[in-house]
Amino acid sequence: MIKLIIDNQEISVEPGTTILEAARAAKVKIPTLCYEEELSVFGGCRLCIVEVDNKDSLMPACATEAEDGMVIRTHTPKVRDIRQTIFEMIIASHDISCELNCLTCSRASSCELREVAEDIGVTRMRLDPIIRGHSKDFSSYAIAREPNKCITCDRCIRKCQEIQGIGIFANAGRGPETIVTTFEDRGIGNVECTNCGQCIISCPTGALHEVYHYDKVWEALYDESKHVIVQTAPSVRVAIAESFGAEPGTVATGQLVAGLRRLGFDRVFDTNFTADLTIMEEATEVVKRITENQDLPVFTSCSPGWIKFIEHFYPEYLGHLSTAKSPQQMFGAIAKSYYAEESGIPREDIVSVSIMPCTAKKFEAQRPEMGDDVDYVLTTREAAMMFKSAGLNLCEQDESDYDELLGFSSGAADIFGNTGGVMEAALRTAYHIITGEELEDIEINAVRGLEGIKEASIKITDDLTVNVAVANGLANAHRVMEMLKEGKEYHFIEFMACPGGCIGGGGQPLPTGNTTRQEVREKRQKALYQIDHTKKIRRSHDNPMIKKLYADYLGEPGSHKAHDLLHTKYTARGIK
Amino acid sequence: MGPPLLKAEEYDFKGLQKALKLRPEGIIDEIKKSGLKGRGGAGFPTGVKWELALAETGEKKYIICNADEGEPGTFKDRYLLEERPLKVLEGILIAARAIGANEGFIYIRGEYTEPIKIFKKTIEEAEKQGVLGDNIFGSDFNFKLTLVRGGGAYVCGDETSLINSIEGKRGISRIKPPYPIQAGLFDRPTVVNNVESLAAAAEIINQGADYYTGLGTKNSRGTKLICLSGDIEKPGVYEVEFGSTTLRDILYELGGGPLKDDSFKFIIPGGLSTAALTIEELDCQYSYEGIEAAGSSLGSGAIIAIGQKHQLLEILQRVGRFYMDETCGTCFPCREGNRHIDYIFKKHHNGKFYQEDVDILADIGKAISGAARCGLGQTSLSLARSLFYKFPEELIIGGGQR
Repeated sequence: MIKLIIDNQEISVEPGTTILEAARAAKVKIPTLCYEEELSVFGGCRLCIVEVDNKDSLMPACATEAEDGMVIRTHTPKVRDIRQTIFEMIIASHDISCELNCLTCSRASSCELREVAEDIGVTRMRLDPIIRGHSKDFSSYAIAREPNKCITCDRCIRKCQEIQGIGIFANAGRGPETIVTTFEDRGIGNVECTNCGQCIISCPTGALHEVYHYDKVWEALYDESKHVIVQTAPSVRVAIAESFGAEPGTVATGQLVAGLRRLGFDRVFDTNFTADLTIMEEATEVVKRITENQDLPVFTSCSPGWIKFIEHFYPEYLGHLSTAKSPQQMFGAIAKSYYAEESGIPREDIVSVSIMPCTAKKFEAQRPEMGDDVDYVLTTREAAMMFKSAGLNLCEQDESDYDELLGFSSGAADIFGNTGGVMEAALRTAYHIITGEELEDIEINAVRGLEGIKEASIKITDDLTVNVAVANGLANAHRVMEMLKEGKEYHFIEFMACPGGCIGGGGQPLPTGNTTRQEVREKRQKALYQIDHTKKIRRSHDNPMIKKLYADYLGEPGSHKAHDLLHTKYTARGIK
Repeated sequence: MGPPLLKAEEYDFKGLQKALKLRPEGIIDEIKKSGLKGRGGAGFPTGVKWELALAETGEKKYIICNADEGEPGTFKDRYLLEERPLKVLEGILIAARAIGANEGFIYIRGEYTEPIKIFKKTIEEAEKQGVLGDNIFGSDFNFKLTLVRGGGAYVCGDETSLINSIEGKRGISRIKPPYPIQAGLFDRPTVVNNVESLAAAAEIINQGADYYTGLGTKNSRGTKLICLSGDIEKPGVYEVEFGSTTLRDILYELGGGPLKDDSFKFIIPGGLSTAALTIEELDCQYSYEGIEAAGSSLGSGAIIAIGQKHQLLEILQRVGRFYMDETCGTCFPCREGNRHIDYIFKKHHNGKFYQEDVDILADIGKAISGAARCGLGQTSLSLARSLFYKFPEELIIGGGQR
C-alpha cells in the first residue's frame, strides 16, 4: 500500500491506483467527462486536472498514478478556474441554441454535462456558440446520432472497440474539425453496427440515442380502431424503476403492468411467456442436434446484437445458430396468429408493441423475414418517458397481474435477462427431454455470474456430458469464436451482445449517481435470480399455458406449424 | 561550414568509427559530459535520454530521427538534411549504437521534397557502402534505417504523435507515462532525437566532449544553428556559439538589420511558440538562460523579425489560424481553446479588442497552458499573450487600463 494526501486527508491505496480512483476512495469527486470505468484512459477532457506538490504542471487525475507521499489538491482556485473555462468552451460548441435546447434533448433528465456543470459550479458562460452544422445520422433502424451534440470524448469509440470488439466509430477530420463518425461517413445503418446500443449507454450527451418509436405507440394508443397489446422483456422489470429514482434491481413487475394498463394498452402480456416457448423450441432443437451430432456447437439466437454480429463477422458459422426466433419475435408471431384467432380480432387491427432493454430489437422487428409481427419496439427508457408524460410515477402504482394466455411464465423465463440465463433455462428443459426426469440442482451456478466467458460441463446421462460456454459482451463473443476456430469443442454456447446480458442492455436506464456500471448489473442480475427463486414453476416445460398452446395450436415442439411461426433464417452479411 | 558533403565514399565517419570502438556507456558518458541539450525545442539533455534508453531491457529498441521540423520559422534541419545528410546519418548510427537499437526511422516532413530525395539517396548509398546493414565497418553492429514521409501535421513534431504517425495511426499525442523511452514505437523502448541534436552528437564523438564544452556557456554548451527570417536583410541559417553574442548582434550583424526604410517592431526568438521580445529587450546573451532571463525561450532557434509594416492584428490572426489548424483535436482545452482564439481574433474592432475579450483570451490561455495534453497546446498562446502584454495600447480598447 502507498500513502498519499488528498485535500489534507491521508489515504492508503494499492500501487497502480490512479489519482482519480484514490480521490474517490477519499470521498472526493473530481469531475470527468471522457473517463469511464471499464474503458481505457483517454485523458482528453482535462477536467480532472489536479495540483500535485513539486510538479510544475497540473496532472490529469485519470491518467496519473498515485505515488507514495504525493500531496494532491483537487479543488484549488487555479484548477477550479481552468475547469470553468474548459467547460465554457465545451458548451459553446455543443449546439445549445433556442431551436435546439436542453428541454427537447434525449438526455434532458440524464445529461452528464449538466451534472458536471453542477460539480464544477459553473458561474459564467461568455463564449459565442460555435455552429458546426453536421447533419444527423438517421441511417439506422436502431440508433440515431446527432453529431452537433457530440463533444468528441470518444467514449463511444472506446466502448465499441474495447467492450464490443467491433469499432464502427472512429475520429475523422483535423483539429477543431475532429469528429466521431463511421467508416467513410456511411452512417450507422450502413456499417457493421450490431445495434447493441452500448454506445448510447456510454455517451455523456444526447449525441446518441435510440430511434424512437414512442410517438407511433402514442398514436396507436389514441386510435380507437386499434387493439394495442404489449409485451415486456424479463430484464425491464428489474430496471425501469431506476428511471423513477429507485435503486437498481428494484423489482417493479406489477407496477409496470399496472402502468401499462393506465397508458391505455388493451392487453398487457409478458415476453417471458414466449421465453418459455423459445426454450421449448430451442431445447428440442439442441437435443436433436446433439444426439445427431449436427452442426455443433449450437449457438443461442435470442440476442439480436449477437445475430447481427455473427452475420457480419462469422457468416460461415450461421448454420450453428439455433433457428428458434427470439422471445420478442415468437411473441409477435403468436400474438398475430393464435391470439388473433382466439380473441376474434383481425390481425390487421392488432398493434403489437414490445418493451425491451435493447436497441437491437428495433432492428430485429423490422427484418423482412419477421413481417409485421412486432410493430413497435420501445426501450426501457422510452417506456419510462411515456409513463412520465402520462403523469405516472411507476413506483407509486399498485401492483397488477399480466393478462391471461400470453402472460404466464416460469422462473426459467425470468432469468433470460441474465448472461447464462438462457443456457440455464435450456438445460433445465433439455435434461427433461433427454432423461424424462427433472434436473435436481435447478440452479446451475457454473453458468451464473458476470464473468465475460464461462464454461461448464453438465452431466446429463452416464453417456452424455454436455460442454457449454456462455459469453457476454461482443468482445467476449469474438474471443469464443476464435477459440472455436482454433479447434475448441462445445455442444452448446450462449451468446449475449451486451455486458451482463439484457440486464446491461443498450436500452436500459442510464447509470446515475456514484453507482458503477458493474454494481448496477450485479443488482439487476440478483433481482432476476430472486424472481426465479421464488416462483413455483421454474421450468419452461412445466408452464401450463405453454402446454395449452401446444395442445390447442402448435402440436408439439418442432412441429411443422411451430417451424412456420417460430423459426427463422439468417443473412450472411459479411464486411463491406 | 565548408562545401556540402553528399557522397558516402568521400566521408570518413570519424565519429562513428570512434563510437564503434567504445562501449555504449562510453558513448553516453561522452555525450553527457558535453552537456548537449535536445535541439528540437524542448531542450532535454540528450545523454540522459540515451542513458535511460540503454537501461531499458527488451530485445528490440528503436531510434527515430525527428526531421518533422514544423515550427514556423525553423529550417535548420532542412539545411542539414540537404547539405550534411551523412553527418545526420552518422548521428543516427551513433545513437543507435549507444542505446542498443538495430532499427531506426527518419521521419521527414512531407513538404520537404528535396531533403527527402537527398536522404533517400543517402540511405541507398550507405547501404551499398556498408555504412548501413550488417557488420557496419566490420563491427558486430547491424542497423537498418527507414525513411518515413510525414503527412504535414505540425503536431507530428511531438515525439508521441510522430510515433503514432509512423505506426499508421492518427497523429495525436499519447498520454505519458509511459514515455517513449519505456514504450514508444510499437511499444518498444524508443529514442526520438532531433536532426540537429544527432548531427551535434556525431561531432561531439568525433572532436571529443572536452572540445565541445570549451564552447558556449555552462548551461548552454556548444553551438546552435539559428534560422533568421522575416523582415530582415540577410535571412538564412547561421551557426552561433552559445554565449558569444547577443540577440541584437545576431539580428543587426549576422542578419544585416531590418529591411530598407523599415525598423524592427518586435522579434520572436525561438519559433512561433515563444513569447515576443521588443527592440528594447534584445541585449540578452544568446543562450538558453539568456533568452529565458529576457522572458522568452530559445526554442528551436528560429528567430523571426517583424518589421513596422506589419499590423499586430495580422500577426495575431495568422498565428491563431495556425494553431487552430494544427491542434490535433484530442484534448479539449487545446482543441476548443484554439478554435475560440481564432474566432476572437477575427472579432476585432479596427484592429483592437474589447477588454472583456482580452480577459477571455487570458482565461483560455491559462486553461490551455495549464491543462493541455502536449507541448503544442501548452505553448500555443505564448506569442499572442506576449503581444497583448507588450503592446496593450495597440491591441486593447482602452489600452488595457482598468
